[in-house]
Amino acid sequence: MIRIIDAGLRSTVQDRGRFGHLRSGVPPAGAADPFALAAANALVGNATDAAGIEIIGTLFRFTSDHSRVIAVAGRDVSLTTRSRLPGWSSVFVRAGQTVTVHSGERTRFAYLAVSGGIATEPVLGSRSSYVPAGLGAVLRAGDTLPLGDSDTGAEDAARRIEPTTYDEQVRAMAGPHDDRFDRDVSARFFDGAFVVQPASDRQGVRLGGAPIAPRAGELLSCGVIAGAVQVPRGGAPIVLLADHGTTGGYPVIATVIAADIGKVAQRMPGESLRFRRVERDEALDALRAERHALSVR
Amino acid sequence: MTPRVVPFGEGALLVELGTEFQENVVDRARRIAGHWENIFTFGPAVPAYASVVLRFDPLRIEPAKAETFAAELLGRVEFMLVTPTTPRRLVEIPTTYDGPDLAETAERSQLTVEELVALHSKREYTAYFLGFMPGFAYCGRLDPKIVSSRLERPRERVPAGSVAVADGQTGVYPFASPGGWRLLGRTELAMFDPGAAEPVRISAGDRVRFVPQ
Repeated sequence: MIRIIDAGLRSTVQDRGRFGHLRSGVPPAGAADPFALAAANALVGNATDAAGIEIIGTLFRFTSDHSRVIAVAGRDVSLTTRSRLPGWSSVFVRAGQTVTVHSGERTRFAYLAVSGGIATEPVLGSRSSYVPAGLGAVLRAGDTLPLGDSDTGAEDAARRIEPTTYDEQVRAMAGPHDDRFDRDVSARFFDGAFVVQPASDRQGVRLGGAPIAPRAGELLSCGVIAGAVQVPRGGAPIVLLADHGTTGGYPVIATVIAADIGKVAQRMPGESLRFRRVERDEALDALRAERHALSVR
Repeated sequence: MTPRVVPFGEGALLVELGTEFQENVVDRARRIAGHWENIFTFGPAVPAYASVVLRFDPLRIEPAKAETFAAELLGRVEFMLVTPTTPRRLVEIPTTYDGPDLAETAERSQLTVEELVALHSKREYTAYFLGFMPGFAYCGRLDPKIVSSRLERPRERVPAGSVAVADGQTGVYPFASPGGWRLLGRTELAMFDPGAAEPVRISAGDRVRFVPQ
């Protein structure tokens, strides 16, 4: 069991997502920065489908009833046990010891993994919270969460994974609806800089900048995925994240590659974002590199 | 348009079957999705009116290969055997017609409120697909006499259970959310229950009727 002393603002339990009920309109949910959660899990020796805590807001404190290995990952994250320790590395924590997870000024999402994983009851095949439909709930001070079994010990601490470089440039493949945009509009999309808007959340990152309106407005509702860059009639793009509706009615000019979705999710309102066009091979190489980076041991 | 398969990022494909609503196209989309999920078992699929998104793990199945499989499905969807299913279920939605857009929609359609309620509730709809949010079924088609363009300004909050119409379609908002459909009434019936054996009240392919209360 872990006991939450301070819960941040809208922290939730998340795993890699719920993909078995998309056809019932159930969004995948899961970590908004999937690589950061995967890294935290890998650092503590968890399976890839283990659940962790996605922390939103500063000040998250907890204690564990058992000695465990923990790790935090995300943009500009660190933690304090007896001393301040960097993120993206594993730390051994004794039973009862208080742990504080620190989010920096530019952290949107921090991920905490505990060896054994957060063992809440899966719903529809996943432990991911999707709060709008009552799947899971926002964590509060005083909440307790069960942990899975773990045989990790102090010797499993001090592993490290190279943190993501959270810069402004993300890679995207054109389409699938790029033919609904004039060529100069598409070119502008891949050349220009956008600014992240405050209304961004787990559903999507809203962008401002020179409008890139499609030729024709809406299209028949069509399935979408995380990373899809939807462009509503006004020309202000939205990059879909984990909590996206399963279908959308706007043309998708480009799709952020899987390896870079976390970089989009972690941009703060007011920060810039640029899209660099890549082909599928580069997207696959990036995914392989990511998978490789997770093999700590 | 000629149906086609286009990449949707590195781990999904978009199968485009057309650009406008046609009953037989919706059916094709559903068959392709079912085949991808249940026969190929490559990953989840999301069918909609005239398209299907097919997902797969690109580190397990080479994207070019996935594309070949998808194109092959597209080629023979016409001839795919429709698995004999149980007779299509009829789902009845008890509805109180007192929505904030009822009077205005009647007026736009040059109908009385009673006529509008009768036109909406006497018709049996088909649930074409689910999307947008858990349990939201896109049902149609509305009687063409009902003028149902979307609201110019979407509401910031549509209450859960709202029975709504838009562009020839009708549906029920399972949860409170922003929305641009016109609200004709409401139902007390829960549209999504994650604890139930069948979490959604309306499944794709169901027949749907709204029963005035």
